[in-house]
Amino acid sequence: MSECRKENLAHFAVTIISKDRPGIVADVTEVLYRLGSNIEDSSCTMLGGDFAMILIVSHEKPFTKVRLADEFKALHEQTGLVVYVRTLAEDEVCPVKGEGELCLISVYGSDQPGIVYRVTRALADRGVNITDLNTRLIGTREEPVYVLMLEAALPEGLTVEDAERLLEKLKKELNVEIGVRAITPVSL
Amino acid sequence: MPVQKILLYPHPVLKTLCRPVERIDGEIAGLVGDLIDTMRAGPGSVGVAAPQIGVTLRVCVVDVSASRHGKENNHGLLVMVDPEITAREGAAIMREGCMSVPDYTGDVERATSITVRFRDGDGNDREIEASGFEAVAIQHEMDHLDGVLFLDRIASLKTGLFRRKNYS
Repeated sequence: MSECRKENLAHFAVTIISKDRPGIVADVTEVLYRLGSNIEDSSCTMLGGDFAMILIVSHEKPFTKVRLADEFKALHEQTGLVVYVRTLAEDEVCPVKGEGELCLISVYGSDQPGIVYRVTRALADRGVNITDLNTRLIGTREEPVYVLMLEAALPEGLTVEDAERLLEKLKKELNVEIGVRAITPVSL
Repeated sequence: MPVQKILLYPHPVLKTLCRPVERIDGEIAGLVGDLIDTMRAGPGSVGVAAPQIGVTLRVCVVDVSASRHGKENNHGLLVMVDPEITAREGAAIMREGCMSVPDYTGDVERATSITVRFRDGDGNDREIEASGFEAVAIQHEMDHLDGVLFLDRIASLKTGLFRRKNYS
C-alpha cells in the first residue's frame, strides 16, 4: 500500500520502557498529542514488572529525532521512564506483505535454555518470517514451564505441514510440545 | 444488475440496524442480483450483505463453494432474506477480514454449526444447518444486517493467547 508513505512526513521508531504504573500510556501520548505527532503503529505490553511501548510515530517535516527525544526529557526526569528514538528509512515505513501462508506456532514444555533459539533458528533457516512472538515463564518455582507463541509467514512453497515436519525433530530433542496451525485470514 | 461499490467503514450505513423485507418484489430481485454480482467480483469474496452496498434491508448472499475452506461443506449459493439463526452450537476462532474494513484482520469466535431460517430470492421458506466455514460466513454476513462489524467481536488486536494470564 503506497498510502502509508507520505512524502511530507518523517517517521520514527520510539521505544519507551518504564517501571509499570497506571498512566504511562497517557503520559507518553500526551507529549505526542501536544506535539502534533501521529501514532501510526504500536505494540505496548507489560513485561515482567515493566511496561514497554514500541511506537511508529510520524511528524510533518522538517522534524528530527533529537527534537522528538527532547520532548520526553521532562517526563524522563519526573518519572524515570526511558525513551529511545530512531529515524526510519523510507523503506522501513510500509509493512512488508508476504504472499505465503500464515501460521501460529505454539511451543511449551519444561523450562530449559535454548527453546526460543532452537525453534526460531530452524524457522529462519527455511526463510520463515516471524510476524509476532511472545514468551512467558509459567508453572511453579519447582516445575517452571516455558511457553512460546509466535505467528509467522511461511515462504512460497512451504506448507503448514512442512513447517510441522520441520519442527518435529525439535519436539523430541527439547522434549516440548509444538503445535502448528494455519491462521491465514479468510476474507468475507 | 451491475457490480456495486462496497462501502467502507466509517460509512454510517455499516453501523445501521437493517429493516426486514416485507415483500419480495422486483426491487428485492434487483438487490439480490447486485449482491451476487458484487460478491462474484470481489477477490475471494464469499458473501455480501445489503448494507455493504448501501441498502439497509435484511438481505445477504453467501457462497463458499469455490473457497478453499468451504468447498467440501456447503449449500452452494445462498440468498437469504430476513435470515434468523434458530440454533447455534460449538465455538471456534477464525481470523476474519472484511471488504468493508480493508487491510485489517482479527480473530473472531463464532459458533461452529448453526441452524438458519430464511426466505430465498423466490420467497420460499428454507431452513438449513450450516457448519464450518459456511457457518462462519453466514454469521459474519448476518452481523452486517445488525450493524455489527467483525471489529465489534475481536478479542485482541494481536494473538491474545497466554497473555496476561499469569498476572495476579
